[in-house]
Amino acid sequence: MPDAVLSNQGTNKPNPTPPKPFTPEDETALREALKRCSPSTFEAAVQFRRTGNPEHVPAVVIGVIERFVEPDLRMKLKDADDDLRLIEDLGIDSLTMMEIVILVEDVLQMTINNDELRNLRTVGDVKTFIDCKIRGLPLPKPTKFIPIEHIGAVMPIQPPFLFLNEASVSSTAANGKYKITGQEFFLQGHFKDNPVMPASIMLEALGQLAVLYLLEGHIPEPGKAVNSSQIFFTGCEGVRAHRVCKPGDILTLSIKPKRNKMPLATFEGAIRVGQEKAVIAEEISLIFAYADAVNAPVPINPATSNTGVVNGAAEAPAASAPPLRVAINA
Amino acid sequence: MPRVFITGLGLVTSIGNDAATVTRNLRDLRHGFEIYPPFQKPEIPVKVVGTIKGFTADSTDPEDWTFPAAYKIKRELLRTMAPNGLFAHCAMLQAVADAKLSEADISNPLTGLYAASAGSPYLLHHHNDRLNKVGVMRCSPLGIVASIAGTLNFNLIAAFKIQGSSCGFSSACASSAHALGFALDDLKLGRQKRMFVVGAEDGNVDAILPFAGMRTLSLQTDPNLASRPFDAGRDGFVGTGGSAVLVLETEEEVLRRGVTPYAEVLGWGQASDGWNVAISHPEGSGSAAAMTLALRASGVAPAEVDYVNAHATSTLIGDVSEARALRSVFKEAGRRPAVSSTKALTGHGLSLAGAMESAFCALAIRDGFTPGNAHLQHVDPECADLNIPRTTENTAPNIVIKNSSGFGGANVALVFKRVA
Repeated sequence: MPDAVLSNQGTNKPNPTPPKPFTPEDETALREALKRCSPSTFEAAVQFRRTGNPEHVPAVVIGVIERFVEPDLRMKLKDADDDLRLIEDLGIDSLTMMEIVILVEDVLQMTINNDELRNLRTVGDVKTFIDCKIRGLPLPKPTKFIPIEHIGAVMPIQPPFLFLNEASVSSTAANGKYKITGQEFFLQGHFKDNPVMPASIMLEALGQLAVLYLLEGHIPEPGKAVNSSQIFFTGCEGVRAHRVCKPGDILTLSIKPKRNKMPLATFEGAIRVGQEKAVIAEEISLIFAYADAVNAPVPINPATSNTGVVNGAAEAPAASAPPLRVAINA
Repeated sequence: MPRVFITGLGLVTSIGNDAATVTRNLRDLRHGFEIYPPFQKPEIPVKVVGTIKGFTADSTDPEDWTFPAAYKIKRELLRTMAPNGLFAHCAMLQAVADAKLSEADISNPLTGLYAASAGSPYLLHHHNDRLNKVGVMRCSPLGIVASIAGTLNFNLIAAFKIQGSSCGFSSACASSAHALGFALDDLKLGRQKRMFVVGAEDGNVDAILPFAGMRTLSLQTDPNLASRPFDAGRDGFVGTGGSAVLVLETEEEVLRRGVTPYAEVLGWGQASDGWNVAISHPEGSGSAAAMTLALRASGVAPAEVDYVNAHATSTLIGDVSEARALRSVFKEAGRRPAVSSTKALTGHGLSLAGAMESAFCALAIRDGFTPGNAHLQHVDPECADLNIPRTTENTAPNIVIKNSSGFGGANVALVFKRVA
């Protein structure tokens, strides 16, 4: 690979620096570039280009994504949470992703490298990613989709008391699914001739998702890893159950970290069944401890990983990973 | 070897955007020329173009384009198209409906698509310009597939989920005739049972004006006089764009589906001048050889030919060269088939010409007429011995030859036959 390409990697700073003054010609070009976006997208872009204030960035990014989403899917974006998936929920393919990236680059005057794109899977990933780029902050861990085998491998909790079928974890949230099969042993007695998922077990499922977050999403101190045998439940507050959940229901679990400082980690959590609220927990608290890292996690961008990872061995696979290929038939 | 038939047509041309309108204009010899607004500058001496009506594709952004409301095209497909891709997509939709093809008929390993266009010089220029202006990593990710030679086949194959043979042909003005010839071979050899043959061109400033330097474009300002093949007063060709699609099927498929074909495709031949990169052979040797080979492959004697749809583009050298080729093929047979160039009405469609004019031949055969040679006032003495009707005859030709010639001295002749 030519040096010019390598030296361009990981310059995780706004580009160009310092920002050039925003001229009327720039505004005309910006209006042209965003002519198919909503007026509020253009306004946010103008504000950002004038002030450099990153608060305007999410509106620009969402506005650009919206412009490339088929009209009948745009409603999803209107009241989207950050977990909305680009490919599965919005029908954005890798070519459309490139269109989005190039327009965002053009409008926000920044440069996004191929290897940074690979891990952007949700709207939240994109917003966080752009925000970090603009602020010159280290890039967060990407959303990781974790299949059942991997959940079983990393979790200290095991069947028949594991209530996660699949999960995704990013540095800002974790989501999971659990289908109530009807075969759970406790349903035999809860209740007599009327199997209902106990609210305490649903709270347990949220706690398990929080454990998975600590193991897979939390960024530990340098050289450390969360010790999976030292995570315990300590408390919860503001718990309300809104819906009776029965065999056949698919629980959609989500937790968001509020404060994570060893030894205490607090989260907010929610369970939905389809669009219906099932359980809300305003705060779930766990305690945890670190152990020395054996295999440090692979960072999203090795060149910028000055915060978390000191283990050089972990950088090699990421550095040699192939760049994003969109035109695979070319 | 299986017999092969034309079972569907799609047309977006300067003389009409559906088969019925095109047939009417071919019969009545009504041209599709207009004073072309982008040429109305003092520094551009060329003024007339065979324009496509009902479409606007004069923006580098496909989402600005307009086209008849009957065609629904998603942004996802539009974003990778050149103007000629838009015309062809609409012509494909027409051809599919005309041939009464189901989705399963279109998308299977035995149905292929051969296409010909010059790519899109217009978009290629735009995207390379943008690359230079905004930087290598910020050029449009879809610029290549929208603009390079091959854009037509890339887009159609993906949009229509073609699973059989696919290829683009690049022999300039013989391209889509080559595509038709090789499609016929695939069907005769049993490799495919159905082929789409597509020709298309942007027909805009960037596609047409580069021919001005060669002095091959007509400088006439009167649309009624600009394209005059075989006329002593001709002064060059008139450019045009659009698209034509032909559906070719084996006899087995025609019978299975119970459709009525337009015409049979008997055979084809090709030969090269071996002479000059851009000038036709003075005696038309390659064109004559192509016709002779095509007739031989079709099992038809020269004396049986009723009509020749000539390549004649209205250039000084080209028309005479083809006239000499025709003379050498038919003189001995004592036959003077009717010869006309429908480019007098449409202008020269370049890569599109062969497919478009083959579609015209199919319409003439099915609807029972022989198109006359429009705008012919004083026949060039060099062509005087040809049988060039000035008006349309209401007789269906039984055997038709379609000639096409391109740069490098490539010549193709196709032979069609009326279905008894």
